[in-house]
Amino acid sequence: MTDVLAQRSFRGLSAAEAIESVHNELDGLWEDAPFVQAMDQMTFTTAVIESASNIVQHAVPAKAQKPVELGVEISVQPSLLQARVSAFYAKPPFGPLKPGTPDDDSESGRGLALIEALVTTVTFERQNGTNTWILTRTSQS
Amino acid sequence: MEFSYEVKDSYAEVKADGRLNMVSAPKLREFVTDVIAGGSSRIVVNLENTAFMDSSGLGALIGCLKAARQAGGDLRIAGVQPQVKMVLELTSMDRVLTAYASAEEAFSND
Repeated sequence: MTDVLAQRSFRGLSAAEAIESVHNELDGLWEDAPFVQAMDQMTFTTAVIESASNIVQHAVPAKAQKPVELGVEISVQPSLLQARVSAFYAKPPFGPLKPGTPDDDSESGRGLALIEALVTTVTFERQNGTNTWILTRTSQS
Repeated sequence: MEFSYEVKDSYAEVKADGRLNMVSAPKLREFVTDVIAGGSSRIVVNLENTAFMDSSGLGALIGCLKAARQAGGDLRIAGVQPQVKMVLELTSMDRVLTAYASAEEAFSND
């Protein structure tokens, strides 16, 4: 049995405003788990927000009448931070899942590389019409 | 996020207080575009109260930098906090967006 020390979650329409809600949940999580090192809080928050923003910007509904929903579940376990960032009712992701290498003038395309630099593992799964990115970071403490 | 600006002797200082994410990034771009259109192409974005920036926010800063240069000026950043510094370093954009300790220092040698 996994020992979960603190957890927070969000589910709502995949829209820009949802990002602020996810951020507020993360702030609440760190208040609940102040023992998590500041560096881990900072890096994991950035990775979760990048992943959630990626869904809001790029997820495409599988059916026209059913909008994509964003789901985020974040847990603090001993020495491990984990987040499941999901796009519900979405088509499978289109295009490369590999980070690009934008030039200095480019205004986008850095998100995936940033996520990979911030976390220990990134795993993707698709199940029952839901795309989920699972992020883990081994805690420094 | 809240934006404000102040025209100084040789530059305009833009303050961006709060989280610079995909919600506020387009607003920053619009705000700075308006400041440039108002005649100030030397811009310092003061990030001392920007607690968070993601790649959307970084993209907006790059867009603002290009707009300032196209208008014959430049854009520099100041007061960078640890999370923003981390994002700049991990994306290697600290080479492009030079960070100064304070807004006053950003154009002091020009």
